[in-house]
Amino acid sequence: MKLGVFVSEYGTTNDTLERLKADFLGIVLVQNGVYNAVVSENGQTSPVLGKGTKVYALSEDLLVRGFDPSKVDKRVTVVDYGGVVDLIFNNFEKLIWL
Amino acid sequence: MSKLTIGCFSSLVGSMTLDFAVKLAEAARKKGHDVDMWLSGNGTMLAKKGQRSFKDYSSLEKTMTDLVAGGMTVVACEACAEARGYHKEDFIDSFGRKSMDWYLASCFGADRVLHIGGE
Amino acid sequence: MAIKKIAFVVDKLPYKGESSRLALTHCIASQTVEIHLEEDENVEPVLAFVGNGVLNCLRNQNAEAYGVSTMESHIKNALLTDIKVLICEEDVKRLGIAEENLIMDAEDFGADMTSQIVPFSEIMAEIESSVHLMYF
Repeated sequence: MKLGVFVSEYGTTNDTLERLKADFLGIVLVQNGVYNAVVSENGQTSPVLGKGTKVYALSEDLLVRGFDPSKVDKRVTVVDYGGVVDLIFNNFEKLIWL
Repeated sequence: MSKLTIGCFSSLVGSMTLDFAVKLAEAARKKGHDVDMWLSGNGTMLAKKGQRSFKDYSSLEKTMTDLVAGGMTVVACEACAEARGYHKEDFIDSFGRKSMDWYLASCFGADRVLHIGGE
Repeated sequence: MAIKKIAFVVDKLPYKGESSRLALTHCIASQTVEIHLEEDENVEPVLAFVGNGVLNCLRNQNAEAYGVSTMESHIKNALLTDIKVLICEEDVKRLGIAEENLIMDAEDFGADMTSQIVPFSEIMAEIESSVHLMYF
């Protein structure tokens, strides 16, 4: 199963995300979820970044919050809305919004 | 082309989640995909016509009516709307009002479903 | 016959918000979805409670004070309409809930279907075999 998980909150400790299993687990950081792509707490990057096979972040939501999309964690691929649409149809089979 | 059904249960003002859903729908339409949008719970607020555009408040009525004119389908939960005092005459003309089974039927015919829960 | 399974997964607590109630009402709406579909088409729902969402499944709810139906009655209606109801075993244990305190049947509603307490892995298998997924 190729699963796309939209994370819209920062620092989620959602145990669902912890437990989800998929052959391909793509995490799409949107809204306040994009803070996970850039903020470190006490020098530690967000644990969310280690959960997925691939992690993406929405460029518009980064810019709105004052972050340069070229300076996100190196594990994160920045996409625009069109890119999210392509992910939905080409990379994921099922979607979850957390 | 493929079909995306978006269910959104989040409110129009006080949250930016409906804005996200609408921008995603717009991007999907630009790529030629079919899009159905189901508004339920507080999401039905988006179906209310006569939204005034103020600075710093989400204003989506024009975008939505343009999207519907371009072929997108938008339907709001009748019961959720009625409970909030949005009657048939209050609805944006091109929006539908149906019961929850419509959403499931839309999902039946969709290639992908993004269900966005409420606050 | 084209049947598409949709998984309704509830991880929100009840009453403060309407999320879990809307999960139930949308799930039960599968009973009438046929009116929008072709003759041989249908939707098969499966309803799963995970995380703190398992607290929706406690017995003896009384929401008279709020003037709304209880989640207990919604869950029993789901069982009455033969919807598969799964409750996550790990979360039930984590929260120290005894099985006798969970809504395991709806005999008082005349339902034959019963709830099942299952490991999260079984819920994950249901998600995997579903065509679409709705997280409430």
